[in-house]
Amino acid sequence: MDLFNLGEVTWWESQCFYHALAHLGREGLIICYPSSPYVCLGLHDDLEQEIDREYCERSGIPVFRRETGGGVVYLDNRQIFFQLVMRRDNPRLPLRRHKYYENFLNPAISVYQQLGVPAELKKPADLAANGKKCSGNACGDIDNGVAYVGNMLLDFNFEVMSNVLRVPFHKFRDHFKRSMQNNMTTIKDWMNYPVSYNDLAWRLIKEFKTEWDDLHLTEVDQTLADKAKELFERYTSEDWLQMPGRKYHDRRVKIAEGLMLMEKSFGPDCIAVALVREGIVEDMDIYGRRNSVTEFIGREWNEDLLAEISANPDNRQEEITHAS
Amino acid sequence: MQVDNYQIPENLFYDNNDFWIKVNGEEALVGMTDFGQSNTGDILYLELLNCGEILSRGERCGSIESGKWVGNLTAPVSGAVIDNNSEVVVNPRKINADAYGEGWMYRIKLSNPDEIKLLMKAQDYAAWVAEQMKNEQEIN
Repeated sequence: MDLFNLGEVTWWESQCFYHALAHLGREGLIICYPSSPYVCLGLHDDLEQEIDREYCERSGIPVFRRETGGGVVYLDNRQIFFQLVMRRDNPRLPLRRHKYYENFLNPAISVYQQLGVPAELKKPADLAANGKKCSGNACGDIDNGVAYVGNMLLDFNFEVMSNVLRVPFHKFRDHFKRSMQNNMTTIKDWMNYPVSYNDLAWRLIKEFKTEWDDLHLTEVDQTLADKAKELFERYTSEDWLQMPGRKYHDRRVKIAEGLMLMEKSFGPDCIAVALVREGIVEDMDIYGRRNSVTEFIGREWNEDLLAEISANPDNRQEEITHAS
Repeated sequence: MQVDNYQIPENLFYDNNDFWIKVNGEEALVGMTDFGQSNTGDILYLELLNCGEILSRGERCGSIESGKWVGNLTAPVSGAVIDNNSEVVVNPRKINADAYGEGWMYRIKLSNPDEIKLLMKAQDYAAWVAEQMKNEQEIN
């Protein structure tokens, strides 16, 4: 299998090379990082619902839609990408694609552990250290190929990530940022000296070689470069970006595997924001009322709970205030 | 008919992308098989072609997403979409829950009925599923 240790590439090359391999029916492992930041939608994300396009344009942050699953991610040069493309007829590839995540992520787990970060797989596709997410991953069948893509976080810009998302009201953004900060961790949190790209890349390659002993270092050839450029035009076209995707009545953002930030409006003056872990409310604020939320913590986030919040019992009437 | 725990109704045709096809004259109803939905996992999103759109056998005719995986739906036969299951688009987990019933995906008017001869009958599909399961065990 071809190994592309590319180091710094342009933001769009960090996505288009692996897509190009898949569309060309080639196999390969790519290790790289983007020279500049961008926002990347999952194949089925809804652009208008998910992204604050105005902020992105004002900040010079381009938007891309990939052909793999998962949600919106903010990507920059403090993340190292590893991308594995296999042909669909590769006998190593299971029909249950999610089962291959374990093989795909083992190298990153090993490297994290070598650096003292106690990373482990949180199925199906997250890596977590002490319960905090430390790697984002996705997979997709692309043409006759299958791409598994992941990253290792040297550091993460929570501020910009919280700004690129479209939110229903400003407090939601604060909740989002705080939830990420409390539930994500990066290499920087664990090490008192900086780790270089080369160090991480070669550690990753060494670990991938235990699963793929036939990796041969090569460079991007003209066919691959041409295909990547062609795909760049397509994946950044307005038609592609505006492709309809999954829509939710109320705003919800995935923080990590099994952890969602949920918003629910109860009329114009009352909005609940809840951090829901595995379906259970872990934290909540209700804006527009001053009533306590402690009775809702630990409860299942379901219709019954929402009905109770909405019911607004008489004994709380005097406590209601309007949102400013 | 059943292979392991996977149901394979005998009155349907199948293709090797794990779709079932129920032929009724010049029309066909299409959905994902029990084996297919099980391999896909919990289905979170489904995109189907709209009524009137034309699909060609072997070409992309939609998209599907489960936990952290996306893939294309491939048309098992050619024709024009005359109905699609809007309920399964809203709640794609119906495919997991009832693959041969409420989880049906779309109905087409066949443009080349001879293509039915290229599909597998239940017994052939059962053998194919058994082979896939054997291969899967070898991978593990």
